[in-house]
Amino acid sequence: MAEAKKARKAMIKIKPKKYKVGDTVKVDFIAIHPMDTGMAKDKETGKIKPAHYIEDITFSFDGEPFTKMKVWESISTNPYFSVNYKVTKKGKITVAYKDNQGEEVLKTKKVKPKEA
Amino acid sequence: MKKVLLTLALAGTLVTAGEQFSMSKADKKMYEEMLENNPADIFVADGEEQFEDNFDGEEALAKFLEVSEKKLAEYIAGFPRYVKKMGNVVGLDQVLQAMQVEQGKSKSDLNSETIFNVLAYVKSLANDLPVSIDVKANKEMEDSYKLGEKLYTTVRGYRGLSCKSCHSLPGTVLRTQTLPEMGAANTGGTWPAYRMTLSNLVTLQARSATCMRDAGQEPLPLGSKEMVALEVYITNLAKENKKVVAIPGLKR
Amino acid sequence: MFYKLKQKKNNLKKKGKQMERRNFIKSLMMASAAATVATPSMLLANESAKEEAKAAVVKGPNDMPLADAIKAITDGKEVKESDMIKLTVPEIAENGAVVPVKVEVKSPMTDKDHVKSIHILNSKNSNSRCADIMLTPANDKAYFSTRVKLAETQEIIALVALSDGTFMKAGKSIKVTIGGCG
Repeated sequence: MAEAKKARKAMIKIKPKKYKVGDTVKVDFIAIHPMDTGMAKDKETGKIKPAHYIEDITFSFDGEPFTKMKVWESISTNPYFSVNYKVTKKGKITVAYKDNQGEEVLKTKKVKPKEA
Repeated sequence: MKKVLLTLALAGTLVTAGEQFSMSKADKKMYEEMLENNPADIFVADGEEQFEDNFDGEEALAKFLEVSEKKLAEYIAGFPRYVKKMGNVVGLDQVLQAMQVEQGKSKSDLNSETIFNVLAYVKSLANDLPVSIDVKANKEMEDSYKLGEKLYTTVRGYRGLSCKSCHSLPGTVLRTQTLPEMGAANTGGTWPAYRMTLSNLVTLQARSATCMRDAGQEPLPLGSKEMVALEVYITNLAKENKKVVAIPGLKR
Repeated sequence: MFYKLKQKKNNLKKKGKQMERRNFIKSLMMASAAATVATPSMLLANESAKEEAKAAVVKGPNDMPLADAIKAITDGKEVKESDMIKLTVPEIAENGAVVPVKVEVKSPMTDKDHVKSIHILNSKNSNSRCADIMLTPANDKAYFSTRVKLAETQEIIALVALSDGTFMKAGKSIKVTIGGCG
């Protein structure tokens, strides 16, 4: 498979779908990423696949970080991360990650609280 | 051989421990929660893009299948079907291939990411609808069903196993791996699925081929009359158990 | 004629063996289906053999055993077991590639009193660190969920750092098995 010339895919979900200012929602982040440990062999070539995993993740709201993560190769392939967030106003949640090979991916999701 | 005998012996001596070998309720709940955040959702979204861009979407599919767009989802829930213009009982993946050929494009391999992802998206259009395959719809479906039943129950390969050998009783477990009874497990309604051990979305036929290899059998080719017949039989088991379509699935 | 008889004998022998195997496998299947037993220890990834094998294998750059990882996080400070930490993991992992882990810590998550970070660690992977999560009061709840890869049966530990500089932890064992057919 051609190594990603396309940006790696990822998805942010906010649960529940309907929420108001003051509610605490769950922010789910799933990324398509091999999270190779550097110890496994490629089934086809027989060679060791070099380590390739997400290292740093930042969750921000309107540019202000509210959660930072440092993760390692023990996290599953196509990883999932979930935290809570208290909704204060309308805006955007951004999740940005960087992997050990320098690849950076950024995903945004609008925060749209319903009128009280 | 020795290892297995030893296992049986140990199994015999530990019967009184009473700990269930298969998943506990609490564990099952965790795995059900995982379904809400299935990495396959991203593959399905990718499939949607490809379906719109390269297959001209629902309008084209409905036109090809000669049904109204309104009834498309329901029609999808009844696959595999005998599609007259293709002269065969086929799965939706084969329909996608035929669409490509009709559009003057080269057809994607049934074992490709394109087909897997687009198939998953197309099938997901029927989510929550009952699995409605009709194995009595016409002679072709009846024949396919009979062939599928035969394949499911016939022993083949050097291990002397048939699908039925491992997949007939609910709760069957082999070294903690569940061997689902396919009707109760809704196998027909939950594939394509994300396989955790592969970190990838695959179809039922692709998964079956892998299982056949592990079971010591020559795998049936994807899209072959036999493989489709097997899928017909398995899908009908889901229908008999009144299951609904739930794509993408999440499996070991 | 003699040759044909020999062939017949061989075929019968083959069939006989096949039948033996079939019956044997049938009985195995029934035993599996009927058995409600605790995991026979030999089916669990053989632990001591793996330890030895591991010692011989080339280590990765992130390798760090559990004790060292804990020390690096706590700087040697005391860590108490705490039931304020709710660690949810499966008892038996359906597969070792994707094992769900959820951590919830009772905390008001105010500026004055909150969980600063949650550290997910494992006891047997060559790199015992899975994830460090730095939370803030904006999270409102000290909660984190993810999925990890576990090569063998081992413990998952949630090590929690509080805003007052103290540490606490909770751990749970997860059985990781070879699985049946593939």
